Amino acid sequence: MSKWQTLQTRSFLESTARQRAQGLVDEGSFTELVGPTERFISPHLPELGEAVEFDDGVVTGIGLLGKHPAIVISQEGRFIGGAVGEVGGAKMVGALKLAQSIYEKLQAENPAEVQARRPIVLISFETGGVRLHEANAGLLAHAEVMDQIQNLRHKVPVVSVVGSKIGCFGGMGFVAAATDVIVMSEFSRIGLTGPEVIEQEMGRAEFDASDRALVFRTTGGKHKYIMGDCNYLVPDSIAAFRQQAIAIAALPMDAIENLRRIGSRSAIERQMQLVAMAAEVSPTDAKDMWKAIGNENPQQLIDANYTDFMAQAKRLTPAA
Amino acid sequence: MALTQLKYEFSPATPRALPVPAVHFGVVGSGDMEVIIENKDLGGKAVATVVTPVTGFDHVWEMVLRRFMDECQLGNVAISINDNNATPVVVSLRLRQALLEIEG
Amino acid sequence: METMMGQGRLAIDMIVDQDSFAENQIPNFSVPCEDYAPGAVVGTARINGRECTVIANDAMECNPRFPVVYAGIIGMEEGYKMAMAVYRSIEADADLPVAKKRPLLLIVDTPGNGPGKVEEIIGMNKSTGAYQLALAEARKAGHPVLAVVIGRAISGAFLCHGLQADQIISLSSKYNTMIHVMPLTSIARITKQDLERLTALSTSNPVFAAGPEFFFRLGGVEEIMESPQAMRECVTRHLDDIYTLKAVNRTDKLGPWGRGELGEQRGGRITRKKVMARMNEQFDAVADRYLNA
Repeated sequence: MSKWQTLQTRSFLESTARQRAQGLVDEGSFTELVGPTERFISPHLPELGEAVEFDDGVVTGIGLLGKHPAIVISQEGRFIGGAVGEVGGAKMVGALKLAQSIYEKLQAENPAEVQARRPIVLISFETGGVRLHEANAGLLAHAEVMDQIQNLRHKVPVVSVVGSKIGCFGGMGFVAAATDVIVMSEFSRIGLTGPEVIEQEMGRAEFDASDRALVFRTTGGKHKYIMGDCNYLVPDSIAAFRQQAIAIAALPMDAIENLRRIGSRSAIERQMQLVAMAAEVSPTDAKDMWKAIGNENPQQLIDANYTDFMAQAKRLTPAA
Repeated sequence: MALTQLKYEFSPATPRALPVPAVHFGVVGSGDMEVIIENKDLGGKAVATVVTPVTGFDHVWEMVLRRFMDECQLGNVAISINDNNATPVVVSLRLRQALLEIEG
Repeated sequence: METMMGQGRLAIDMIVDQDSFAENQIPNFSVPCEDYAPGAVVGTARINGRECTVIANDAMECNPRFPVVYAGIIGMEEGYKMAMAVYRSIEADADLPVAKKRPLLLIVDTPGNGPGKVEEIIGMNKSTGAYQLALAEARKAGHPVLAVVIGRAISGAFLCHGLQADQIISLSSKYNTMIHVMPLTSIARITKQDLERLTALSTSNPVFAAGPEFFFRLGGVEEIMESPQAMRECVTRHLDDIYTLKAVNRTDKLGPWGRGELGEQRGGRITRKKVMARMNEQFDAVADRYLNA
């Protein structure tokens, strides 16, 4: 078995950012851009005596999904929690700009092939958001990433791939929400405020951050799938995420637009209805929402394996 | 409080070349490290640079790196390590894993 | 006047033409109920006779349905209400040329996003993300978007209400204006750094310290105002500047990207651009393989 084939069967959750990046695209097609040998370390961490990484915790590069150039951004949670600083942020912004320039070149030189060769962006999140050691630069980078995502609207699908240990929180939680499509496994999470902060704000009686099951049903893949916040829930293997990415790359752009949760007046009108529903249901647990959506036995869904969950879960869909 | 930079030089008895321009391995997690080993014309010698927030382990680094160099006999290579408190066992392991990346 | 913090409504009156602010009056805009997102104030006003959309925080209000939302916090209702005000403004001027599109004036005094359990269950990240996308869309459609920081512009709430603007101006820290991700004391605690050392370092490196002046050096704030009385003049001048830049297609000098360039000019963020240049260079060397697969 080649190295790439071995990667395919690996747990996405257990894989490093680089393994995820290499495995998400076609065999042998990944070229890392501004990789470790370029040695773009954070200029700020050494001043603080903090360990540095040659890639600053973000792997960026390009591969192929068939004929589609796939721009990959993959965050490494084991390096300072995947938090985004100046260099890592610039790599994200640069990769998104690259996707735009590839699209524009294609549009200008080969308009008939746009659908067949349209680039796709895959962001494999593993982050709590801003890196506090360089907080201001990290925050400003988040705004730039958001700006670039809007530039790609209706042109290049931007896909959140969320199957990592840390998941996607803080300012990057906004970024994930703003992408076109979200693919998750049940073992990962998306949110804004992490469990410890909620516990601190509301008290342990309201939210016990050490209760793993509670944490997962509040922001985990199964919950996000039921709420319509994640479009596709996949098993925990690199191959499963890759198969989903291939299917998304083949979709026409208007179908991609229908997968969005936010980004237009009609989309936010639906979200406002969901907020009104929340005010009415006043959920004390995610299970209350699952019930309100039509799942009579939430506990059964929590316990269900992937196949049974997919067969049984009733869910909201973004465009419904 | 800046990071500590340690530099070492080795002269392998029977220097052999790295079969690829460069190889990278590892993640700078807590208690872990990354390494780049790359070809560089050094007249048969090998150099190693370690960047670490930890001080006072110069000899340990030298010992672990020397053992690795004795074993692999790479010449004309530069080794660059970013460390975050990896133990000697982890360091040895990561160095070997880096070579396995190319030599399978 | 010692501070403008908590005085979003007063700030509106100090900036716009006298008595011109009409709350909730944006073409086709409506809210589901009277007390919807009361801490998010939206409406139309005039600045030197020109109609503009105003979006501000009222720190005196509490959301009656979501108890973690008070004191200027942007909760789920607030984010969507603000986003809706933006989309309705875009629609109202859809047929107008760029020179005639109404400005959006953001008056910023917000300490954060709703940090609650219900917010996580429903997805607070979507609401603030929605508002950011709406502002980015308005900016790209040609509306001048100007943020005025009068009080608190904290972390994710500043990302949402402020950092997508064409330009950002801020009252100086003399008025207790706060722009930061976290106060330095918290950063010191979480990163296990010595507070005194961090404070000393921040004089030479603005990258982690709290305050508008540090953001200025990173290009994150275009101009710092030395008094609240200067706000109206400063707003007028920056809106003119934005109109001019948009008229000559220099949008690269505006918005988050423009602030990135400004951060380099001011010497605060100099690695960012080198990283991107190297990425392009490396891609160019392999482009053919990916463009003609």
